[in-house]
Amino acid sequence: MARRLLLHLTLLGLGFAGLRLAVVPAEVCPVVSAVQVSHAADEAAAWIVRNMRDDGRYLYGYDRDVDETSAQYNGTRHAGVTMSLYQYAVAAGRPEVVADADRGLAFMLERLTVGPGWQAWQPPGEGIQLGANALFVAALVMRRDATGDPAYDDVMRAAGRFLLAQQQPDGRMYALWDEATGEAVPVSGKFATGEAAWALALLEGEFPGEGWGRAALPTLDYLALHRDRDEGNLTRMPDHWAAYSLAEVGPAGLDGVRRAYARQLAGYFGIRLRFEAQRRGTGINLWLRWVPGTPAGVGTAGEGMAALWRLARAEPSLADLLPNVEERLACFAGMMVSRQATAAEAAGYPRPGLVQGAWFYRGYVQMDDVQHVLSGLLAARPMLEQREVAG
Amino acid sequence: MTAGLLAAAYIAAFNVARTRLGVPENEGGRARRAVLAGGALLALGVVAALAAASGPLLRVLEITPETFRIAAGFAGVIAAAVVLVVPRPAAEPLPRHWRAALWPVAFPLLLGPEVLALAVATGSQEGVAATVGAAAGALVVLFVLGFLPRRPLPDRVLVWASRVLGAVLLLVALWLAVDGIRDV
Repeated sequence: MARRLLLHLTLLGLGFAGLRLAVVPAEVCPVVSAVQVSHAADEAAAWIVRNMRDDGRYLYGYDRDVDETSAQYNGTRHAGVTMSLYQYAVAAGRPEVVADADRGLAFMLERLTVGPGWQAWQPPGEGIQLGANALFVAALVMRRDATGDPAYDDVMRAAGRFLLAQQQPDGRMYALWDEATGEAVPVSGKFATGEAAWALALLEGEFPGEGWGRAALPTLDYLALHRDRDEGNLTRMPDHWAAYSLAEVGPAGLDGVRRAYARQLAGYFGIRLRFEAQRRGTGINLWLRWVPGTPAGVGTAGEGMAALWRLARAEPSLADLLPNVEERLACFAGMMVSRQATAAEAAGYPRPGLVQGAWFYRGYVQMDDVQHVLSGLLAARPMLEQREVAG
Repeated sequence: MTAGLLAAAYIAAFNVARTRLGVPENEGGRARRAVLAGGALLALGVVAALAAASGPLLRVLEITPETFRIAAGFAGVIAAAVVLVVPRPAAEPLPRHWRAALWPVAFPLLLGPEVLALAVATGSQEGVAATVGAAAGALVVLFVLGFLPRRPLPDRVLVWASRVLGAVLLLVALWLAVDGIRDV
């Protein structure tokens, strides 16, 4: 009997050890304060600004292990980083950063093209794209929030009309404009549709009553109901831009479909962040969970979760999500503050200025890595402050 | 988790039909009542203790309740697969008197890994009262089965019932894992 008991106990122990290792490793969430998050955001913004080029472009990528900068560039990412600098100026109360962000903005303004009833910026060597222009609009909205300056209102409206020109009756957005044919090209951009929905929702906030918000809703519904099938996604895409859009339209713009979509998105970002918290990148955990994820990937989950936190606070029917959303957001902030390259760490590399304040994935950082984590941290900070006040 | 699903989860996890096949019997073909009652009470106590301690336990293990549901689902899927392949429990050596309540009734028949994991998962999610209620309900069903002599309840019926409950456990476990993935 003792032998049988030992056999059963051994199987039980091995089973639980296997579950612990493979299915539920510890989810480690470093605890950080709002002040630490602010400092991390300062460092991230400083990395972007410090490494800007004279022509208003940002450092695209840097491999610290071989001390090599990337020669690539991407217009949509340029617009996104510019937007995040303006976000930083607003959220961190750093108006002095506007001048630096304006250099990035000038790079886009210098490349405006005119279409039938609209204006759009065209990145060098790229087509006229929906995503790049949606984030261009978002950057202009953030700039207006940071400065109160209406100088670019007409450009915002003109670029907004470009987004509308890409919109289809079912809410779908075409990702490209073909200058030769003078028509939108019927292809979708992975994130461009969500970016466009957000930009339209943001325009409603700046120019209420002009119909921008009404135009955003069909695209939000398209994202919620049809996008994944149309684009052949095996699983629903955890689209942080859609979460931004939902937060921007707010409770007044929610119906059953959008409310359900908000819950689904919270679930996607939740499992993404829980899984990320399980990653150590060492020992057996490396084999089972691989290295910590790309900063851009984790950052977008943080951004999305923060957007849904704002929405859930305003919408009583989503209030039940708040405790878990806040836990995941705090975990995101803790992970990313602890993963940021410090000054001491940067001193060990040939060019510390390209390292300090950034987040690296296997030795490489790309501009959107810093952008997304910066935006996520800025959005998480109010939640942390609120929790600190509440004790 | 609805009350019905919770009850089904415990009936399937305890697999009352399979457990009944392994419970020590008297000469009349009925389960030994004291042994069955003792084992069932012990199992209920363990489930209640795990449910009550689920919060601190998961905090110590640094696992969110949502993620643990995925683990409980995995445990359930494996246990269900075992039941579907081996619907009759192995004949275990029987100790004398009351000790049979501990071995084999409480362990390994009732307190399998799927039940232990389920107790933590539902304790942290549904609360202690609901968990204990569902577990107690399942054990009452087992106790009633124990009263029935084996003759009108042939082995073949119990073996098939065991398989059906294994299939139910599989569905519940998959639901649990998917719910853990989709939750925030």
